[in-house]
Amino acid sequence: MGDAPDLSDEQFVELLRNMIMIRSLDGRMLKLQRAGRVGFVGTATGLEASLVGAAAPLLPKDWMWSGLREGGAAITRGLPLFEYVAQMYCNSNDSAKGRQMCNHFQHKGSNYPSWSSVIGTQVTHGVGAAYASARRGEDVVHSIHFGDGATSSNGFHSGLNLAGVWKAPCVFVCIDNGWAISVSSAEQTAAESYADKAQAYGMPGVTVDGNDVLAVYAEMQTAVERARTGGGPSLVVLKTYRMLGHSSSDDPSKYRDDAEVQSWAERDPLKRYEAFLIERGLIDSSECAAQEKAIVAEIDEVIHEQEAAPPFPLRSLVEDVYSEVPRHLRVQFNQFLEVAERRGDATRGDGAFPL
Amino acid sequence: MIEFKLPDIGEGTAEGEIVKWLVSIGDAVKEHQAIVEVMTDKATVEVPAPADGTITELLVGEGDTVPVGDVIFRLDNGGGAPAQASSPEPAAVPSAPTAVAAQPEPSGGKVLAVPSARRVARELSVDLGTVAGSGRNGVIRRADVEAAATGGAVAQSSHSVVAPTTAQAQRIPFRGVRRKIAEAMVRSSQTAVHFTIVEEVDVTDLVRVRQKAKAIGAEQGIKVTFMPFIMKAVANGLMKFPMLNGHLDEQAEEIVLPGTVNLGIATDTPNGLIVPVISQVESKGLLQLAAELGDLSERTRAGRVRPEELRGSTFSITNAGNIGGTIATPIINFPDIAILGVHRIVKRPGVVDTPEGEVIEVRQYMNFSCSVDHRLADGADAARFVAYLRQILEEPALLSL
Repeated sequence: MGDAPDLSDEQFVELLRNMIMIRSLDGRMLKLQRAGRVGFVGTATGLEASLVGAAAPLLPKDWMWSGLREGGAAITRGLPLFEYVAQMYCNSNDSAKGRQMCNHFQHKGSNYPSWSSVIGTQVTHGVGAAYASARRGEDVVHSIHFGDGATSSNGFHSGLNLAGVWKAPCVFVCIDNGWAISVSSAEQTAAESYADKAQAYGMPGVTVDGNDVLAVYAEMQTAVERARTGGGPSLVVLKTYRMLGHSSSDDPSKYRDDAEVQSWAERDPLKRYEAFLIERGLIDSSECAAQEKAIVAEIDEVIHEQEAAPPFPLRSLVEDVYSEVPRHLRVQFNQFLEVAERRGDATRGDGAFPL
Repeated sequence: MIEFKLPDIGEGTAEGEIVKWLVSIGDAVKEHQAIVEVMTDKATVEVPAPADGTITELLVGEGDTVPVGDVIFRLDNGGGAPAQASSPEPAAVPSAPTAVAAQPEPSGGKVLAVPSARRVARELSVDLGTVAGSGRNGVIRRADVEAAATGGAVAQSSHSVVAPTTAQAQRIPFRGVRRKIAEAMVRSSQTAVHFTIVEEVDVTDLVRVRQKAKAIGAEQGIKVTFMPFIMKAVANGLMKFPMLNGHLDEQAEEIVLPGTVNLGIATDTPNGLIVPVISQVESKGLLQLAAELGDLSERTRAGRVRPEELRGSTFSITNAGNIGGTIATPIINFPDIAILGVHRIVKRPGVVDTPEGEVIEVRQYMNFSCSVDHRLADGADAARFVAYLRQILEEPALLSL
C-alpha cells in the first residue's frame, strides 16, 4: 500500500465501506439484470479503489464528470442509494425521468452531470465547465473521468489541449482497466503509457496503482490541490483491471485470458485494503463480511421498494422541451393515449390534454 | 405465482437455449438464487430467481431454444395466484422432449456453436466436436451441422424428400398450457350435460353486406370479418333468451344471469387454445366489435393478452370450423351455460322463393353448432336461440333491431 494519507480512523473505515458498497451493488444489479428486472448493467468490480480513492479527495462543491463506471464513486460523493436503484429501474423516482439508458446516473446535489454513452464527450464538457468556473471566480475543481479507450477520442485531445492552454481547474482521471471493451491497451496506443500523453498538452501526467485506494487518494489529492490553487490541470492514470465483462451483454472470455484475470484477482483492491486496516488495528477480520451483509440487506430493501414504484406517467413523454406543451404535441399525445388505454398500458396520471 | 419470462439478457438477444436447470420442481428457492443456465448468441449466463418461493413448473426442456418473452418457469411466491396454482408435481425435470435416445456429447472441450446449430445437431444426432465451424473464429453454424449430417452417409437424413415412412415415436411432456387446457376440458365435459343442436343458415345476403362493411372498415383501418356480425347476432339473441347467458354458481346453488353479454372468443394460438373475452357486446356497434376483436386476437396470438381479459365470459364462440368439418359438438367454456361453434361458408344449390315460384340458385350456407348445458337450459331454449340467429343472419338488416 502507498503512504497513508492524513485521514481519521473513521475516514479510513469509510473508504472500505464505500468499496464494499460498489462490489455489493454490482453483484445485486447483475442478478437483477439476469432475471430481466433491469435492462442493462456495467459493473465496476475490480475498480473499487480507483473509484473511491479518486472521488474521496473532492469537496462537495467540486464537480465530477463521468465516464461509464463511476456510479459507485457518485455514491461516495452523495448520490443517494435509492436514486441509484431508481435509475436502474428508470422508474418515477429516477431523476433522469426515464429518459436515460439505465445504469447512467446523475445527481444535482453533488454536482454530478448525467453520463454520456458516447466515448469521451464528457472530457470537453468538463473542461468547458471548469473554464467557466474559473471565469466566474468560483473555487471549484472539476474531476473528469474516462476510460483508456477514450484516450483515442477527439474529446480527449480537444479537452486536454484547451485545458492546458486555459489552465482550467480540472483533473483528468483515466481509469485504465486494460480493456476498451475487447481492445487491449497494446492495440490502443503505441505510447509507453497513457500518462505520457500529458506532456504533449503541457501538464503533468502520472501513473498510479489503481488497486491501491490510498495511493489513488494521495495522488488525486495532490492533483486536486494543484488545480484548486491555480496550478492548472493534470492527468492521473489509474492502472487497474475490470474483473467482469464490459457490460451485462459482454462475454470477456471471448477476448482475454483467464490467466490474466487470475493475476489481477490476486491484486484485489478490497482484500489489499482490508489487510491494511487489519494491520493498522482499525478493523478485525470479521468486519468486511459483517459490513457486506449489512450493505446487501440495505440494497435489497431499496430494490424491493424501488421495484414497486410506478413508471413515469406517459404524459412526461411530451413534457420538458417547451415551457408549455404546444398544441401539435397535445394532439399527438391524446391520440397516443387512446391506443395506450385500449391496450391497457395507460396508468394513473396519464390524463389527456385539453385541446 | 410468478410466471418467469426469458429476459433479454444481452442487448437485443432474440432467443436463448436452456442449457441446464439448476433446480427441480418443488424446490424452495431464494431471491437471486441461480435457477437456470441460458446460452444466447452473446454469452452463457445463470438466470436467478426474481423472488423467494417454490418452483412449481419448469416449462422448457434442456437443450431447447426459446424466444425471449416466453414463460420458462413458474414460481409460487405465495402471492396473488391465478387460481390454478397446481401443487408441486413430482414429475421429473423436463428432459429433451424430442426423445432422441442418446444425445451425443461434444467430444470434450468447449465447442463454439450458435444455438440453432446445437439444436439441429441434437435433432440430427451430430457430434458437434466432429464438425468444422465456418463462422467467425471457427464458430459452428447451422449449415455446418447440416452439411456434416448429409456427409455422414448414414441414411438417416430426416429431411429426405422420398415418401415418408414410419416417423420417430415421441413422448411429449404433458404439462404447461396443454395440461391446463386438458384440465378445463375434463371439468367441463364431466360437469355440464352437453346437448348440441346444429342449424344451417343461408348467409348469401350476409356475405354481400359484409363485403360492403369490409370496405367501410378498411377506410378506418379496421378489418371486418364475419365474426362481429355473428357476435352481434348472438348478443341480440342472448338478450332475448337470457337463460343461455351466464353461469351456474354451484356453491350458492344459483344460476347467475348477468344481463350483459361478455363473449369469450376461442382463439387458436401457437401456445394452444386461449379464450379472451370481449365484454358488453350488446351495447357495442359492429365496427367497434371488429376493432376490439382485431386488437384482442392479435395480442392473444402474440401472448400479450392481460389476465383480466381472459375472465368473465358469459357465453363463448369457437371458430375452429373454418378449417373444415360441417358440424361439431363444442365443449362449453365452463362455467358458461352455452357455446356456439361457427363453421365455414360453403356454396350449394338452394331453393329460393321468388314471385315466379321456387327456383334453384347458388346460395352460400354456414352451419352453427350450439352446445348448451342441459342442466340449466332445455333443448327448446337452444332451438329457439339458433332459430333466432338464423332469422337475423339470413336478413342482416334485422341486426339493427
